[in-house]
Amino acid sequence: MLAEAMRATLADAEIGTAEIGYLATATTQNDLMVPGLASQVHAALGLPPLELASLQSVCASSMMALKSAWLQLRTGEHGAALVGGGEFASRYFRPGFYRDTASLAPGGTLPSDAAFMRWTLSDGAAALLLESRPAARGLSLRIDWISLRSFADRFDPCMTAGAARDVEGNLVPWSHHDGIGAAAAAGAFQLRQDIAMLHRMLPVWLGEFMRLVDEGLIRPDAVDWFACHYSAHSLREEMIRLATRAGCMIPEDRWFSNLADKGNVGAASIFLILDDLLRSGNLRAGQSIVLAVPESGQCIMAYAGLTVVGPEGEPD
Amino acid sequence: MNEIVPPPPADEAGVEAEDLAQLHRALARIWIDFESALLRVPLVARLHAGKWRLEDYRRLLVNLRQQVVEGSRWISRAASNFGPAHEDLRSMFVGHAAEEHRDYRLLEDNFVATGGSRADILSAPKNIGSEALSAFMYHAASQRDPVGLLGAMFIIEGLGNRIAGPWSALIADQLNLPPEAISFFAYHSANDVHHLAEFDEALALALREPGAADAIARHARVVARLYRLQLEEIDNV
Repeated sequence: MLAEAMRATLADAEIGTAEIGYLATATTQNDLMVPGLASQVHAALGLPPLELASLQSVCASSMMALKSAWLQLRTGEHGAALVGGGEFASRYFRPGFYRDTASLAPGGTLPSDAAFMRWTLSDGAAALLLESRPAARGLSLRIDWISLRSFADRFDPCMTAGAARDVEGNLVPWSHHDGIGAAAAAGAFQLRQDIAMLHRMLPVWLGEFMRLVDEGLIRPDAVDWFACHYSAHSLREEMIRLATRAGCMIPEDRWFSNLADKGNVGAASIFLILDDLLRSGNLRAGQSIVLAVPESGQCIMAYAGLTVVGPEGEPD
Repeated sequence: MNEIVPPPPADEAGVEAEDLAQLHRALARIWIDFESALLRVPLVARLHAGKWRLEDYRRLLVNLRQQVVEGSRWISRAASNFGPAHEDLRSMFVGHAAEEHRDYRLLEDNFVATGGSRADILSAPKNIGSEALSAFMYHAASQRDPVGLLGAMFIIEGLGNRIAGPWSALIADQLNLPPEAISFFAYHSANDVHHLAEFDEALALALREPGAADAIARHARVVARLYRLQLEEIDNV
């Protein structure tokens, strides 16, 4: 699916495939445990030899991929890069992946930490083409900065797959079980989310925003589009109150979200949001965009600042 | 293209709204780091992991009481050091000291309700962290016009407002205690909300003093660290 998204990106591009020097992919769970997703995407695209990187985390893997591609271009190592994210969570949300595992309570119900994910994730893929110059036609997005920070120094794993908790509540990786059958029976292969911990991360994510305001990278009143990947209605009111008081609230009418029609597509979300924003017809040269991608896996917060630019030589 | 959200109103003395917002931002960031770091303190981590025993709660009550008993005393001392230019802050501190005057008795009653002896909680010494925290509070309160102490209050009130509620729920959940055994945390989670509103007004007043914003943020940072030290040094007396 990601290869299809990238093929569509290339079909739209002003450059030929031979000019792509770097390919970065982002996903939550690879199709294969080995090798990395970028290798399979490279093969499926049929591109000549190139440099690649397979980034695996949760939602923020998208920003890791974007940042690596941006830096590759900035150093002059490559002139053009493909970067994208793909998720196909519904495959492992099928009933057969829960049957005969400890995750299924008598009566066939799932605990909330496993059921929550089934209700909140969608499938999808999207990609971007990065170049060291704007497109000759139409609007381009210039990346001004990308900030990504992990807070795993203070949070335990919050979203997990590949491990099950023992009776004392410790996470036991799948490979530490007696065998593959035992790991599966213990529910090691299910994706789970600790929802209470997720709520404790919200202030940390907002704190990162405040840091960027204090450091002058974000000027809340100068942001035209705030493209935020997540939606957390439960603590929304409090977040807005905090943000407003601290002088860093971006008015809600500048928030751009496609959650209602695209869903939460993990590592593909921010690419889908950018694509929808570009297609919305509402972008104007000179506008400023801030991307926000929080990851609850073990607490990461990524922000990026983009500027809409017109074709080369045309005044903004 | 869009309308700009109006900045928070400046107070009548003409404190710049952006200065106030910047201070709120600094305090919020200090609070966020504090709250995250608190989750790493062994006693707190075990509470969130659902592994508390009754002894953990009793230990917390005994250790906390030795610091809380000093609370209204350092607030009173600070009040006496506010000169004529800071009347409003002085009266706020006086009111606050009176309100929290006998707070520590709740901790003593809670301890007795868990089956502990009153003589034990009354006679326990401060732990090393509480010594450091109290020493800093009295030191700060002894300065002339100690506006920086608003930063200390921000942390202490925040604990009541944002931490006491979740903790009392976790404690009730794990230890099967009657309400009279957890009234200190329940009381603070219910009552410290209006203190925060009062606090916002006090911040605007304090900012008229040059250098106040830095002093407030600095006191908040120090108190956040020393409060955590107090929880790290439980029973280390």
